[in-house]
Amino acid sequence: MSEMIHTPAPNHKPHHGTVASYVIGFLLSLIFTLVPYYLVVQKILEGNVLVTTIIGFAVLQLIVQVVFFLHLGREKKPHWNLIFLLATVGIILMVVVGSLWIMHHLHYNMSATDVRDKVASDEGVYQIQGTPTGTCANGTGENYKVELKDNRAIPDHVEAKQCDTLTIINLDAAPHDIRFGSHEMLIPYAGEDGKNIRPGRNMIITLTELGTHTLHDHTQHDLSASFTVNR
Amino acid sequence: MATEQGHVAESHEAQANDRIGFGFWVYLMTDLLMFAVLFATFAVLRSNTFGTPEYHELFSLPLALAETLILLTSSFTAGLGMLAAGRGDKVQVLTWFGITFLLGLTFLGLELKEFSEFIHEGYTWRSNASLSAFFTLVGTHGLHITSGLLWMGTALVFIWKRGLNAPLVRKLTLLSLFWHFLDVVWVFIFTIVYLMAFA
Repeated sequence: MSEMIHTPAPNHKPHHGTVASYVIGFLLSLIFTLVPYYLVVQKILEGNVLVTTIIGFAVLQLIVQVVFFLHLGREKKPHWNLIFLLATVGIILMVVVGSLWIMHHLHYNMSATDVRDKVASDEGVYQIQGTPTGTCANGTGENYKVELKDNRAIPDHVEAKQCDTLTIINLDAAPHDIRFGSHEMLIPYAGEDGKNIRPGRNMIITLTELGTHTLHDHTQHDLSASFTVNR
Repeated sequence: MATEQGHVAESHEAQANDRIGFGFWVYLMTDLLMFAVLFATFAVLRSNTFGTPEYHELFSLPLALAETLILLTSSFTAGLGMLAAGRGDKVQVLTWFGITFLLGLTFLGLELKEFSEFIHEGYTWRSNASLSAFFTLVGTHGLHITSGLLWMGTALVFIWKRGLNAPLVRKLTLLSLFWHFLDVVWVFIFTIVYLMAFA
């Protein structure tokens, strides 16, 4: 049988190690898996101590695998494989620690709240879900009025500056459901959806978002007005 | 004279094996670098969940432990298979690597089960940055396991048909390196993705 001839000679084992070393490696790897699992499930340690400990066990596990399964450092000198592994680990530490470090500082210096506030300020959003964003925090300017009377808006156009206010007063006997944008496409103004204004009541908005915008009564077609906010 | 020639041929083969082994090791290290980048991505993006549940509500820790134990055991049986290959014991090689193959298949099945459950519940790689990073990291490892299984399957068929010749033993040596390597990567996935979600 030709296969017998090609069987590798015993003095040139492709793989080192014995059954005993594999069994020891296997048992150690089981221990280094079950201990951190137990620590996490039983909540014996907490917080950073726990995180550090389980990462420590992962590193121990790595060493066990490298020594008992990958048989590193047992090849002839020079230990190219081991040197290459150490170089790789060095690069990995730079990439991983560096990424986490930089991203942590990025988060620290510019949290999600900072980003939101910056966008809100740039876009002139006055409030997000009822919370003022800080735009026009130095106070408001002039107040403009739009009266809703006989199902018409008077005046139907207002020119204002940023941080002025606009008061929409309902002088009719029926409520007006005031929304921003067009009938077909409602667009919230500066984070405001609009409001159903009952007879005799009003609604005040702060003009933070720049540009020309329209408002209308969503329950009827002909009532609409526009306003332009300049810097 | 004849023995001398045989000796020379063998040392040539040993040198070739060393070179191939080192070349494969270089591949493994570059693969490790890729996994390191995926780990870093996951670590940075893991909290960007955009409204999906926290990982400790999503993961089943016993399942992750089962996957880990299965893969550790398969690494062990692959090692025993290599010892059998060193002895030239074809039946034991087929047995141990057969067990390794089945364990690897079970691992892959459990991983796919977990993925399909997530997707079924509506948590996919498209949900948010955190889940994208999770699926990429764990899925890349799963793809490696899949290719390892294909490699192992074909090697076992060849060994079964042709017996243990030197090229096949060399193939098994590289394969077992690959398999132990995937075991190491999984240990870090188990720790950093799964255990740390509950820490």
